[in-house]
Amino acid sequence: MSADRAASGVSPLYVLEGVGRAYAKDGITVEAVRSVDLAIEPGEMVALEGPSGSGKSTLLQLLGALDVPTRGSIRFDGRELARQSDAELTQLRSREIGFVFQHFNLIPTLTAAENVELPMVPAGTPRPQRQIRARELLAQVGLSDRADHLPSRLSGGEQQRVAIARALANHPRVVIADEPTGNLDSTTAKEVMALLSGLRSTAGVTIVLATHDEDVARSAQRRIQLRDGLIVAATRRRPPVKKAAPVPEAKPAARKRAATAALREPGTRTRRTTS
Amino acid sequence: MELSYAWSELRRRAGRTLVTALGLAAGVGLVMAIIGVSAGLSDAQNKILSPLSSVGTDLLVTRTVAPTTSTKPVASGQTATGSGFFGAGGNSALKVASKLNATDTSSLLVANSTVLTDLAKLGPAGTKFTHDFFVPGTLITFPSQATAVVSKISGVSAAVGALSLSAVHESGTVPKTIATLKTARRTLETTTKPATPTAVQLATTIGCLQNAGALGSGTGSSHTRSGPPISKAVILRCLPPTYRSYISKVVVPAQTIQRVVAPPKTDTNTSTYSVGGVVPSSPDTGLVTRSQVTAGHWYDAKPAHELLVNTAYASTHKISVGDTLTIDKMTFSVVGLVAPTLTGNVADLYFDLPTLQTLSTNASRVNEVLVSVHDASQVAAVTAAIHRALPGAQVLTAKDLADQVSGSLSNAHKLANDLGGALAIVVLLAGFAIAVLLTLGNVAKRVREIGSLRAMGWSRGLVVRQILAETVGIGVLGGVLGIALGAVICGIIDAVGPSLSVTSSGLAVGASTVSALLHQSTSGSITTNIALNAPIKLTAVILGFFGALLGGVLAGALGGWRAARLAPATALRDLG
Repeated sequence: MSADRAASGVSPLYVLEGVGRAYAKDGITVEAVRSVDLAIEPGEMVALEGPSGSGKSTLLQLLGALDVPTRGSIRFDGRELARQSDAELTQLRSREIGFVFQHFNLIPTLTAAENVELPMVPAGTPRPQRQIRARELLAQVGLSDRADHLPSRLSGGEQQRVAIARALANHPRVVIADEPTGNLDSTTAKEVMALLSGLRSTAGVTIVLATHDEDVARSAQRRIQLRDGLIVAATRRRPPVKKAAPVPEAKPAARKRAATAALREPGTRTRRTTS
Repeated sequence: MELSYAWSELRRRAGRTLVTALGLAAGVGLVMAIIGVSAGLSDAQNKILSPLSSVGTDLLVTRTVAPTTSTKPVASGQTATGSGFFGAGGNSALKVASKLNATDTSSLLVANSTVLTDLAKLGPAGTKFTHDFFVPGTLITFPSQATAVVSKISGVSAAVGALSLSAVHESGTVPKTIATLKTARRTLETTTKPATPTAVQLATTIGCLQNAGALGSGTGSSHTRSGPPISKAVILRCLPPTYRSYISKVVVPAQTIQRVVAPPKTDTNTSTYSVGGVVPSSPDTGLVTRSQVTAGHWYDAKPAHELLVNTAYASTHKISVGDTLTIDKMTFSVVGLVAPTLTGNVADLYFDLPTLQTLSTNASRVNEVLVSVHDASQVAAVTAAIHRALPGAQVLTAKDLADQVSGSLSNAHKLANDLGGALAIVVLLAGFAIAVLLTLGNVAKRVREIGSLRAMGWSRGLVVRQILAETVGIGVLGGVLGIALGAVICGIIDAVGPSLSVTSSGLAVGASTVSALLHQSTSGSITTNIALNAPIKLTAVILGFFGALLGGVLAGALGGWRAARLAPATALRDLG
C-alpha cells in the first residue's frame, strides 16, 4: 500500500484490503475471491488474468460496485463500498463507472444511439442532451453512420464499440471491461483495445479488464494473475524510458499463498516481470 | 426514456406483446360477452316480466277456478273468508271450485255448455255455417260493478274491467243429422178388471134396465120375465160410465218422428282463439294499450265494429289492418295490430268490451279488473283493501306474474346470474395469470439485459417502472383487443340470436276444471320464443378495459418485483 502510494505519488482510486467474497451454493460455501490486497491508481489500465473460476469476474464485480465483499474492505476514492447501500452503489455506478461486457449486453430492441443513451437516464440527463451526447460518443468510436441501427444489424466489433460509447456516457472515472475482446476476432479485438487504450491516455479513464487474451493483457500497465481467488502474480509494465525494478503487488502473505498454490500446480508461473 | 424504451420493446417484440395482450383480451372479451348476454337475458326477462306495468297496470284482480288437481295456488294472492264476489263462496284458491255459489256455477256451466252445438238449429242439411262460441276458461266472470268497487279504494288511480275469453270457431256444412222415422198405425187394447159397482151404480143400472122394459117389476129372486129380448144397446146405455170407457179402443194414429242421430258425421272445422274485451275509452290501462299498437290505430269512433288483432295472430292468419272479420254474423273491421306482452292475458282478438259482453252473453260481466295505483309502495295496502272489498278475489302483482314464468330464458337467466359473474372473474383471472406468467417469463429471459441496466446505474425503481410501462402498454392493447373481441362475440350472438323459450302459466286463458269436465283441451300456458341479444354495455367496456389494464399493472408489478430483485452482478455472469 504505502509502496504503491510512494511509487505513483498520487492517492489510489481503489484500495482493496483482505477482500474476500464467498457464495453459498448448494449448501457449500465457495470463496470466489479469498484475500485480495490491491491498489489501483487513477488512469491506470489493469488486466486481470487467470483461468476460469480463478475469481476474475468476482473481483471485477467488486471493483464495479456490482457486489460487495463478504470480508475485507474496498475503498473507492476513499469511500468504503462495503458500507454503501444499494441505492448509493447504484448512484456510484451511474456516475463513476462504465461497463463493457464480453457479450456486449446491448438492448436488442433499441438502436445504437438509444443504447448509448441508457446510462444517462438514471443520471437525469435531459433527453435532448442525451441524444446529442449519444451521437458524439458514437462519432468518437467511429459509428456515426450506425447510430440508428439495431444491434442485430451491427457486427461484433461495432456492437462492442457501441458498448464502449455507452460505458463513457456519464464521463466515468473507471471502465470495467469483462473480456472485452472475448467475442471478437483478432483484428477487431486490436481496434477495440486501441480504443480502450486511447481512453486511458486521452481522458485519463482508469480501466480494469479481465481477459484470457495475452495480447490484450500486454496492452495493460499492470497484469494481475489470479488463481483460486488469490493474486498469485502481478507485473507492472514501466515506460521504456524509466527503468525500475518490478514492484511487488501482493503482500508477503499473499505471495506465500500464491507460492503454495504454484507448488500444487507445477509449471504455473508465479511471477512475471517485464522490462 | 421508459416510454420510448417500452414502446421499442413492445414494437420490436411484437409476437410476445401480442400473445400477452391476447391473453388479457380473451379475458376482457369473454367478460364483455358474459355481461352482454347477462344484460340481454335481463332485458328479455324484464320485457316479458313487466306485463302489468307495460299495460299501465300494477295489480290484476281476477277470480280464478284453480284446477282441483293443482297442489299449489295459482298465485300468492291472499285469501279471504266470507262472501265472494257478490255471493257466497270462493274464499280459497285451492277450494274455490267447490265453493262456487249456485249462480256462479250455473253461469259457468251455461257459458261452457254453449260449446255443444245444436246442429238442428243451424238450418237444413247442406247449409254452410260458421259459429263462434265464447267460454270464460279459468276466469270466472263477475258483475262489472266490481270495477267500480275497486276504483273507490284509496290509492287506486284507475280500475278498468276486462273480459278474457276463449273462443271456438266452427265452420262447415250442416250434416244430414236429422233422421225421419215413420211409425205404423197401431191399435192398442187394454184389459182391466173393473172395480165392483157401487150400490148407487147398481140401482141406477137396474132402474135404467127396468125403464127399458128389460126387467120385470117387483123385487125378489123369483120373478119371471116376458116380452122382447133385451137389446145390446140397452145394456150399453145402462152401464156406469167407467165401464163404458174400458171397452173403447185406443187408436194411435200413424205419425212421423224426427230424432237426432248421434254422433253426426260432419265436415266441421273447429279452431280456437282467444279474445279480450277492452275499454276503448281507457287507452292507457287495459289488456292492451294504445302504446302497444304497432300498426293502424286505437279504437275509433265506432268501437263496436272495430277489432285490434295481436300481431302474432295476424301474421299466422294473414290479417292486416283494414281487413274485415265476421264473427257470429257481425262484421268487424281490423283497425290496428297490437303487440301485447307475453304474460298476463294475451288474446288474439281484442273487442270493444260491451260488444264482447253481448257476443258472449256476458252482459255487464267481466272477469278481470286491471288496477293501477298512485304509488308502487301502495301495492300491498291496495291488495289488502281489494281482498276486504271483494272476498274471494285473487290479486296478482307483477312479481306474482314473474314467478310464473319458466322456460329456457329463466333457466339461462338464473345460470347467467349464478355462474356468469363467477365465470367472468375466472376468465379474467386466467387472463391475468397468462399476462403475469408471460411477463415473468419475459423478465427471466431478460436477466442479462436487466442486470446491465442495473450495472449502468438504473435503480430498482427505474427497472420496475420500465417493466410496468411495458406491461401497462400490453394491458392497454389487451383492453382494446378485448373490447373488439367482446364486440365481435356480442355481434355474433346478436346475429345468430339463439332462441330461448319462455313459458308463462297461470293467467293464460286455458284449462279449467269446468273446461276439463267438458273435455276441452285448451293450452294452460303460453310459450313464446325470444331471440337472445347481447348488448354491448358501456359498463362492460369500461370494466373490461380497466380489467386488462389491471392485469397489465399486476403483471408489471410482479415482473418488476422479480426484475428488481436481480443482482446487478448478473450482467457479468456468462449466461451463454
